[in-house]
Amino acid sequence: MHDSESDTFPVKSTREQFRELFEKIGVKAETEQIDTDEVEKGDYYSKYFSHSPAMVTNHGCLKIKDANIDVVQIIQKG
Amino acid sequence: MPQDLDPVPWGAQDRFQAHYIVKPIVQMALDELLARTNLKTSGHFATKKVASIEWVGGDLARVLNSDAELRNMILKLSYKDAHIWVEPTKNGVRIHGKWKSSYELQISKELFQVYDRIASHIKRNLGSPPV
Repeated sequence: MHDSESDTFPVKSTREQFRELFEKIGVKAETEQIDTDEVEKGDYYSKYFSHSPAMVTNHGCLKIKDANIDVVQIIQKG
Repeated sequence: MPQDLDPVPWGAQDRFQAHYIVKPIVQMALDELLARTNLKTSGHFATKKVASIEWVGGDLARVLNSDAELRNMILKLSYKDAHIWVEPTKNGVRIHGKWKSSYELQISKELFQVYDRIASHIKRNLGSPPV
């Protein structure tokens, strides 16, 4: 087995892993079904800054409770 | 045929960002809510530290510059985490940092507090009370 792929695969989604990180620092968050939040439907960048990528992959959102931040969205380049 | 020594990457890369989004309640002027940090640093390589920060951008940058507590909080962050962008889009105002690998994609209590404080200024700017 000299494959480039790892022998183990994470069974959790990226947003589920991120929710656990929030839990560790005492922030209440819950994962949402992918492509259900309004913020996932429009542009992810304002395009005012030059670093805005041309293509991104949406990994879904987490709803944050008791904070000024409403939603956290995980994005991957490409 | 020799292998290309500098292949062009394509497809999803190991570069992630978490966008911390404040949803607008009212219609907003996009360019007023633009802001990013401009850093002055000291030291090199592993010892590189943020010496001072300045917000540049629209009206929000002026508000963030006047918050001394926020500036002190950002000075305690790592050099990479101190790069912060505030980008208004149609469905929300997005606060994010630099691209990180899947291994680096973490959130600390200090970093979340910085993002939450910026979000409180955005909410105030949009006319809704902060939490």
